[in-house]
Amino acid sequence: MKAKKEIKKGKAVKAVRTDKKERILKELKSIVGEKNATTDQHILYAYSYDMSFVTPKLPDYVVIVHTVEEVQRILKFANKEKIPVVPYTSGTNIGGLCIPERGGMILDFKKMNKIIKLDPEALYAVIEPGVSHGQLAEALYKYNLRFGWPVGPPSASVASCAICHGIGHMNARYGLNSQEITSMEVVLPTGELVRVGSCAINPDAWHSCLPMPQMDGLFKGWLGSTGIVTKLGIAVHHIPPILKIFTVSCDHVDDMYSYMLNLSNYEICDDLTAVSWWLSQVPIPYPYKPKPDDAPEWFSYATTFSFTEKEKEARTEIWEKVVDEEKKKGTSIQVTHYPEEALKARTQLPSQIVGSTKNYCKMAGGGISWPGTFTPANRWAPIYKEWKKIMIGHNLSPSVRMSMYRGVHYGMLRAMTPFNKQSAKETENARQAIVECLKVDLDNGGMPYKPPVDFAMEINKRAHPGYLMLMKRLKKFLDPNDIMNPGKLGI
Amino acid sequence: MEHWNNGLIKKTEMENRSNGNLGMGRLTHRSIIPSFRGLKLEEVIMKWNIPSLKELEDVLWRCTACGTCKEAYEYGPPSVSSPICPAGEEFSFEGFLSSRGKIAFARGILSGDLKWNDALIDAIYKCNVCGGCQSQCELDHKPFIPEIIEAMRRKIVADGVGPMPKQKVIAQSLSSYDNPYQGPRRVRLDWTRPFKKQGKPIKNILEEPASILYYVGCTGGYNVPVRVVPQATASIFHKLGLDFGILGESEICCGSTAMRLGDVEAFKRVAESNLELFRKLHDEKGLKTIVTSCAGCYRAFMKDYPMAEEYGRMMEGIRVIHTSQFLYDLYMTGQLKFAESLPWKVTYHDPCHAGRHLTKFIIDKEGTQLWAGAYVKLEDKDCLYDIPRQLLKAIPGIDLREMRRIKANSYCCGGGGGVMTGYNDWAARNAGIRIQEGMETGADHMVSICPFCHYNLNQGAQGTGSKMKLFDLTELIDKVLPEKAS
Repeated sequence: MKAKKEIKKGKAVKAVRTDKKERILKELKSIVGEKNATTDQHILYAYSYDMSFVTPKLPDYVVIVHTVEEVQRILKFANKEKIPVVPYTSGTNIGGLCIPERGGMILDFKKMNKIIKLDPEALYAVIEPGVSHGQLAEALYKYNLRFGWPVGPPSASVASCAICHGIGHMNARYGLNSQEITSMEVVLPTGELVRVGSCAINPDAWHSCLPMPQMDGLFKGWLGSTGIVTKLGIAVHHIPPILKIFTVSCDHVDDMYSYMLNLSNYEICDDLTAVSWWLSQVPIPYPYKPKPDDAPEWFSYATTFSFTEKEKEARTEIWEKVVDEEKKKGTSIQVTHYPEEALKARTQLPSQIVGSTKNYCKMAGGGISWPGTFTPANRWAPIYKEWKKIMIGHNLSPSVRMSMYRGVHYGMLRAMTPFNKQSAKETENARQAIVECLKVDLDNGGMPYKPPVDFAMEINKRAHPGYLMLMKRLKKFLDPNDIMNPGKLGI
Repeated sequence: MEHWNNGLIKKTEMENRSNGNLGMGRLTHRSIIPSFRGLKLEEVIMKWNIPSLKELEDVLWRCTACGTCKEAYEYGPPSVSSPICPAGEEFSFEGFLSSRGKIAFARGILSGDLKWNDALIDAIYKCNVCGGCQSQCELDHKPFIPEIIEAMRRKIVADGVGPMPKQKVIAQSLSSYDNPYQGPRRVRLDWTRPFKKQGKPIKNILEEPASILYYVGCTGGYNVPVRVVPQATASIFHKLGLDFGILGESEICCGSTAMRLGDVEAFKRVAESNLELFRKLHDEKGLKTIVTSCAGCYRAFMKDYPMAEEYGRMMEGIRVIHTSQFLYDLYMTGQLKFAESLPWKVTYHDPCHAGRHLTKFIIDKEGTQLWAGAYVKLEDKDCLYDIPRQLLKAIPGIDLREMRRIKANSYCCGGGGGVMTGYNDWAARNAGIRIQEGMETGADHMVSICPFCHYNLNQGAQGTGSKMKLFDLTELIDKVLPEKAS
């Protein structure tokens, strides 16, 4: 079955009258220049979809911005005219976050891509929203520095990933990429320029959001619905020269949880991750195919970096102790060889191989989404068992990842779900499976990150009334005319 | 229909051709050149396997829109990351940028969401089809990315709504003169005058047998600033005492330009004539090797012509080789020895057509290894990445300095894909970006192996006021090769 025509205008939006559209376009061009604003249908179309199951929707305008001043003028104008504004850097999220729910304007930041400051002594960088992971990686390597590189394309935006609570390859050591944010400059939906963190007090100080009130929280995790971050301070870290990767496998998810819990207590890993057999395949089997009987169901890779051989030996000693303990408990944990290509793809980041989602959706074709969540670690095993039934019931592979984050024993639990986007039926099948999985996770205390609207609705159904009240009040305070990425929060 | 000779055509006939579409689809190969100085061409109806956009529909749905194609990236370490799409750099909007944007257009055209209009057609032609985005992609549609873009252009031409006005001049010139430069046939030989003056005439292979055909290409023949390329090539061949000939005034375009613009009928017309001619030259004049110093012609012979089912039969016993590879082989066997030193700081520009366009992609068509249609891996041994560099390094005194973006990640000069004709200001601006990149290496000479790049990069250097001087690799070799090579 071929994909049906689904390109829609954002819901509840009347088509913008032609004369009004021309007037608005003229004003936009007066701000950003003739070449940088358009209503051309083919350009709008290219912004109407992403790789997720989210129904494509057209914006009314696309605007390329180059300076903070342009952003301020655009937002003042949009606020006056009550035009929805969707901030866009590279559109590589898999939650439909840049698909305009209610039409309006895509504000494309790809040309605001300067690394404004890189302080290798203080260990922070200040970047514009269009800076890509590839670009930052190159700049940092000159000083033997790194940031948390996500499993995404090198062209994806560092700032967008960070402010949407994206993850990197050092979550077990430093936490989420949003926890690496040290300061922010933001244009509010009303056009005012604000700063939060140390740069608010001294324009050259971008080192910390603390000890002041953490107003950066007003812009993190809001999916671009409260303002536009135009400068972002982020912590960067040295690259220790010695990498050691601990790899184990086992037959049961409970055994893997036990191992990960044990190892994480020692806080020696940059990344402590486990993947189900289906996710360890390159690519994920599509449609579902059974795991061979003699293959382990779970694999884990844990990266640890050391500055000296002795440090590496000490870390290895701890890991060996953990493995011994787990074996003595009678678990099925075994030291194992991790599939080479998968290991490379997960440790050599940023990566084109993973970034292009070759590992994930190559076999299905065109589409990928997930129930991507932060979940208490002690709920991983029971949730996985439910997810496995749901996914297999939909003829999809239960390609699940569990990653322990810094601090509290919680972390990522997600099922990377490829589907054939050419087929509307297969796309809907994937959507249904993913939403079913999400409900199970939410009921077990998990929380989805970078959620599409379908997820936001499920979150809000379960939310404390005070949470919803506060969120609405903050949103109204910051964005009185609800112009910033409206509809995405499901409120 | 009245046939024409020596590039001349009756005005009324030309006007008739100009009225509908591009005016070339109605011609057959037999209408071009009924005979080449006594070489009678046989009537061969060729079948071409050139896919339509509709035939590529399943392939283009393999794109995930992940955007990996937007940026040239190498993990390293240290990692290197750079812009790779000239159109993305110039026009910024997603639709213009890399294969992700072009595939959005293709999906919209096939679904009916996008209808032909001037802006859409313009956007589809604002692409160099350089393949830089293709080099980044890892998905199953990777092998077909340039094909998808050109299939959109083929549909534009077939629907009678394109190419762009300035590009139509090329198409009409191809119809009238068998070259895209509106050059009369007699002008094609102007580059040989110095050889005549020196008493070293170049053999016409139609008149005298020769095992080597030097296929000059239209750019080398008609584009005055780059006539140095065939001149240097012929000079080297003379010095080496090679038995070679040219087609002289009878050479016709390889068809690359038409193919890049989507005018598939015009391409087939000249390609069929050339294939038949090559077969005849092999059978009757002893032709064994076709050497070309034009990256566009080389790409056409290597990638476009094999789409004819008769290619294998027509080209049996004939090898096509780029000048750089040809000279490299001679160098490696000791037949090419350099006597002089050239103390130059040079950087090397990889032309798309002689580089990444020659990549071979291994596809699991039947799904015996992976799944049906899976892109398995690539082979780049045919890509002329290392050979020109090795020749450069072999020249005494040369200090080769590499740019940031090289080989599969080379940044296009901006001239290809019909852009130099359709959007010459943009082409020159983009060439200026490449020249600047070359300047950053500290080199003062930029070397390449494509007359088209050569010309456009020169325009870029002039436009930016750069002192960077452009050279073809053959020019450097000619300078250091002794008159009587041993």
